Formats: sequence, structure tokens, C-alpha cells
Amino acid sequence: MARHLLGIRHLDKDQIEDLLSLSADFKLRVIEGKPVPKVDKVVVGMLFFENSTRTRVSFEQAAYYLGMKTANFSASSSSMSKGETLKDTILTLRYERLNGLVMRHRMSGTPTLAARHFGGPVINAGDGQHEHPTQALGDALTIIERKGDLDGLIVAIVGDVEHSRVARSNAWLLSKMGAEVRFVGPRTLIPPHSAMLPGSVYYDLATGIANADVIICLRLQKERMSEGMLSSVGEYAAMYQVNRETLKYASPDCLVMHPGPLNRGIEVDDYSADGEQSAIHSQIENGVFVRMASLYWAFTENRESETI
Amino acid sequence: MRTLLKNGRILDPSQNLDTVASLLLEDDQVLGFGPEADSAEVDETYDCTGMWVCPGLVDPHVHLREPGGEEKETIVTGTQAAAAGGYTTICCMPNTNPPLDNPALIDFILDRAASPESGGVFVAPVGALTRGMRGEELADLAAMKRAGIVAASDEAFPIQSSLIMTQAMEFCVQLDLPIMAHCEDTNLTKGGSMNEGAISAMLGLKGIPRSAEEIAVVRNCLLSLHTGCQLHIMRVSTWGAVEMVRQAKFLGAPVTCEICPMHFAFVEDHIGEFDTRFKIQPPLRTQVDIDLLVQALADGTIDCIASDHSPHASHEVDVPFDEAPFGSAQLESAVGVTLTLLTHKGILSPLETINKLSTKPAQILRLDAGTLKPGETPVAQVCVIDPNCEWVFDRHKTFSKSKNTPFEGMQMKGKAMLTFSGSEIYRDALFSDTRYKIS
Repeated sequence: MARHLLGIRHLDKDQIEDLLSLSADFKLRVIEGKPVPKVDKVVVGMLFFENSTRTRVSFEQAAYYLGMKTANFSASSSSMSKGETLKDTILTLRYERLNGLVMRHRMSGTPTLAARHFGGPVINAGDGQHEHPTQALGDALTIIERKGDLDGLIVAIVGDVEHSRVARSNAWLLSKMGAEVRFVGPRTLIPPHSAMLPGSVYYDLATGIANADVIICLRLQKERMSEGMLSSVGEYAAMYQVNRETLKYASPDCLVMHPGPLNRGIEVDDYSADGEQSAIHSQIENGVFVRMASLYWAFTENRESETI
Repeated sequence: MRTLLKNGRILDPSQNLDTVASLLLEDDQVLGFGPEADSAEVDETYDCTGMWVCPGLVDPHVHLREPGGEEKETIVTGTQAAAAGGYTTICCMPNTNPPLDNPALIDFILDRAASPESGGVFVAPVGALTRGMRGEELADLAAMKRAGIVAASDEAFPIQSSLIMTQAMEFCVQLDLPIMAHCEDTNLTKGGSMNEGAISAMLGLKGIPRSAEEIAVVRNCLLSLHTGCQLHIMRVSTWGAVEMVRQAKFLGAPVTCEICPMHFAFVEDHIGEFDTRFKIQPPLRTQVDIDLLVQALADGTIDCIASDHSPHASHEVDVPFDEAPFGSAQLESAVGVTLTLLTHKGILSPLETINKLSTKPAQILRLDAGTLKPGETPVAQVCVIDPNCEWVFDRHKTFSKSKNTPFEGMQMKGKAMLTFSGSEIYRDALFSDTRYKIS
């Protein structure tokens, strides 16, 4: 009964649709106070080898709604700091009879390694620069709520695509669901060989977001400046900030999204982050419901879906 | 004691020889081949019908890991693996712990290699070029040369300073010592774990750009041209690097280069879902690279095939891709992979195959090896290969301590059956008993 959620890249359209409709259904039930199917007698390990507050809380909340118990595990308090290998940590949790893992790690591909050694389902909560599937699912649910459908939409992903797992997961999901994906950013922050990524590349913001239905802004890490990829925050903002002025290039009802945490005044301004076009708060809220769906989906592959 | 290797196809590139005949060994020396050999009184006969009888293979690039890395490989297990792979002479790399940067350690290697429990192959040590392989001060190269090093290299820690490299080359010209260079601009490769390309972009892994290799190849070739130092470039992986070597040779620089089987067997796509067995430095590239590398092998721009045997312990490779070490065990798969992917596909003739695996590397590093000429090697060094033996690579049947190999389960055609270094040091289980007779 192990079904992993390692990335969106590995899913087909039907699986994505299942997860999204499950998410929408859970949302309705939670908001209307109706009963939610329980996945009981399950303990999920929350393995956050990289600091994360929002994603961990979101998963905890999702597990709570489903009646699951969570076991917390953070890198600093763990035996990893005593030199244990990741494989041995995973095996320890396996033989402590944990039923599933939610895992975040700073290195790409680590949930794949964990899935190989852990008996039960592994859910990727963000691995290096590879994938962050539940973020993409939450973003997709948000877009569907506002736009009705993903098929045919133009979605621009703006910023540090090279170092972004959010960009990759979103691009896979949206393109599999029929949206046109555009990567927009400076040459130093767009992968030099993007042939295997499902999107077209634009180096100019105005062209890249022209007629876009959705703009997903990515967080700019300050270390990109010291690494010589950008001259200054100011120059980046001048070229790629999504704000009152630049939003005019996009479609008039274009949604502005951001995975957080925001750098106000860098990738977004107050107008784009807080205005009517912003969907940032819905993204956070929907994150909980797609994580419920992901946990439920991962644990119920061979179960009768319990009266949903 | 006379031994007859009967009726094989004798392939000796050092004599441009490709003929079906019997090879006669007396005690630990090659006596000759031809009609006299057939009619000679012998003590034992190996029926080599249908097989190649060639000079023992020569591997210019092997990591034996001793001292300091005994959990990965030892001189004993590494030389046994070499013998099983058809090799009779191997060059061991200096990036041990401590590095081979002084004559005492060279003595240690040679002593261990000569011990009875070792595999019986000749070990030709490569000394560190700089002290501690730190790229700062030259190691005691003259003393190490007296102790027996055949070349100098900083291997996995390539010298970044062009000034130090120039001085190293000047000094090596004086010592008549070849430099082996792994070519990498480490500024461009920091944090990288696979080829910078479409797959690294997809997997979110930091890429190693091809320019990092090519820049270092160009620099080293230019320094070789201007100093006259003999330079052997290790494991080229990009078409650009090969073009640079071609240019350098055209300009008259004393430059040679090698390729390792990984780089013509696999492309970046084989990494699949973060499979660390395919992590190698320089990284696996693309099919375009393979096509042009293979052409360069055929036209001689790439001089030889080195295994780049880089053993690691299992626990070291079952880790996140970024943390995994580069390289894998190669000695026991190199012949199979080379014959399967190059010889049987018509890219290299049998004679040229043996040239790349034996005679040429011996000539480059001026080793007493790579030939069947009587008296030209300290003892008879012979390898018998069954080119048509079909087998499946099984890492549990290897002698190497390291069981991490990307060739696991690969269907191969061609296998080393017998290895002689003075006497028989390896006989493969697939070499039929009925082929061996004691008179």
C-alpha cells in the first residue's frame, strides 16, 4: 500500500486530476464542517532536514484533519548531526514502524533514496532544486478556483527558475494539464539547457508575461548576488519585478501568485502582492487541502476509498 | 617448463602482428610463435582456438585506494581484479590517504604489489605532482622517480594555478617524467554532480559544464606545447576536449589522451532517478559526445582506453546524489564493454582494440609491457581473450572489494579468459577444462 509522491514529473494527467478533485472535496468538507474520511492507525514521520515552518505546519494540519498522528523529526535534533547516513535514518524510522514519511531535504533526489529504503509511502515536501509537488498542487487548485480550468491558460513563472523546485513542479503540473508554461528571468537564473523542462524561455519580463493568465513569482535568494549571478537587488527589481506597472502587460484579470516567503519590493510590490489580482492567501490555504489529498492518496492505494 | 598457447589468434600491435599461430612460453618468458612452437615438446597446453592471444593488458589509470582507503579496495584485491580483467600492468593513482607524494610511500606500494597474496600484476605507481596534492609546492619528484614512479599527477585535485603547472612541467621535462592530468577548472565545477545539460536542469542537480573540462585541456595542452613536457590527458569526455587535443597534436605538442569505458557506454540520461552508480568525473555527457569520441578513438586522436577503476564501499554510494563519490569499479568490465561496444560494432579492429588496451598505454608511459616480443618484458605478459564469449556481468563474482558498478546485469560479448604474468595468474571459470592439458 505504498504510493509515493516524489514529484509531479512522475504523475500522469489522471493522477493529477484525482489529487485535485480529492483536494477540492476535502476543502468543501472542512469548510462546511462535514465529516472527513479518516486514515486512522497511521503515524507519519515529518522529516524536515531543511528548515520550514509553513510547509510543516500545513502538513501537520492536513494530517490532523485526517486523524493521522505525526512524529516530528528535525535535522538538528537528529542522529544525522551525529554522522548517521540518510539511509540508516530512514531504516531506523522504518523499523520503528512509522507508516509514512513527509520529507524535506536540501539535496535533490533524497525522497527517491528514502522511498527505496522505507516500506511505506514517501511524500516529497521539497527536495533541493528538484520538486515540491504539494506546492504545485496547491497552486493548481487555486488557479482552478479562480479560472475554472487549467487547460489553455498562459502561466508565466518569473524569477530564479534555475534554483527553484517550485518552478519545476509547477511547470510539470501545468503543462500536463494543458497550460502554456513560460519561464521568465535573467539568463543567469534560467537553466542553460531547458529542453527537458516543459516550458518556453523568455528573458524579457514584458514579453514573457504578455497576455498571461497567471504569474507565479519566485523568491529571489540574496546569495545569488554574492554568487555573481546578479549585480544587485535593485537591478533585478527593475528588470523583473511584478508590480502595478508591469502587470499591465499581462491579461487584465491575471492572477499573481508566490510560494512565499515574499520579498516585498524585490519580486513583487505591495500592489501585486495584496491587490485584487493576488491569490497568495488562497495558495497557502489550499496547501492544507492538497496535502490532505496527498496523504490520503498515498495511504489508500489499495484500500476501499472510505465513503467519500 | 614449457607452456603452449595453442592455435590462437595472436594479436601484437607492437609487431603489427595478427595471425593464427601457437605461442610458446618457456619458464617465465615468451619463446616465440610459429611452426617451431607447434612442434615443440611442452609440459602444458592451453587450447586457444577461436581466442585472441595478446600482450597482457595495460591500464594507465587505476585507483588501488591503499593506503587509507582499504574499505574501498586494497593493493591485494585491486591487483586480483586487474588479473581477472586481463591486465598485467596497472598504474595506480596517488590520491590515497596520505597521498603518494614521497619515495617511502612509493616503496610501500611496490612492496605490497610484489607480495605473494597480490594478484601478480605489475603495479607502476604514479606520484603526486605537488606535496599533499594541494597544488602549491612540487612534490619530491626526482626521489620518487628513483623509487619507481612512471608519471606524476595530481589526479582528482587538478592544479588550478597555471604558474605551478608550468613549473611542474619544466621540472618534469628535466626528469623525463610524463605528467598525467585530469582536466577540470574547479571554479566552474564547484558543487556540480553531473553534466550541465537538459537532465541536470530537470533533476535540479548542479551541472558540471563541458567548458570546465575543455578550458583545462586547452591550458594544459598549451603549457605542454611551450614547455615540451610530455602530457597525458586523463579520461576525456567531451567532443570539444578531443578537438582541443587534436589541435595540440597538430601543433606538435607531446600530448596523448585516454578515454574510459563509462564515457563511451553511457550518457547523462542513464542517471535516471538519481542513480549514483552513474556519477563520474568528468560526468557522463551526451550521444553527440559519444559519437565523436568513438570516431576519435578510431582515428587515433584518443590514444588509449583506461579503466579509471575507482572503487568505493557500498555505504558510500547509497547516499544522496550530491554526496556520492565519483567513480565505480571498472577493471573487470573494461574488456567486455570495449569489445561489446567498440570491436563487435566494427569501430576498432581486433588489433587496434589490443593496441588501445595494451601496447599504446605501455608506449605512452614507457613501460616494459604491451608486447609479446621475447625479452622485451621482465616476464611473459600474456592475455587470452575469448572475443565471442557471451556473459552477463555479475558484481558478486568480481574480485574487487567494490561492488558498485553501472555494468551490473549488462550482456557482454568478450571476456578475458587467461592472464599470464610469468606464469598463469588468472584462469576464468568459463575457460573449459577440456582446453587445458598437462603432457
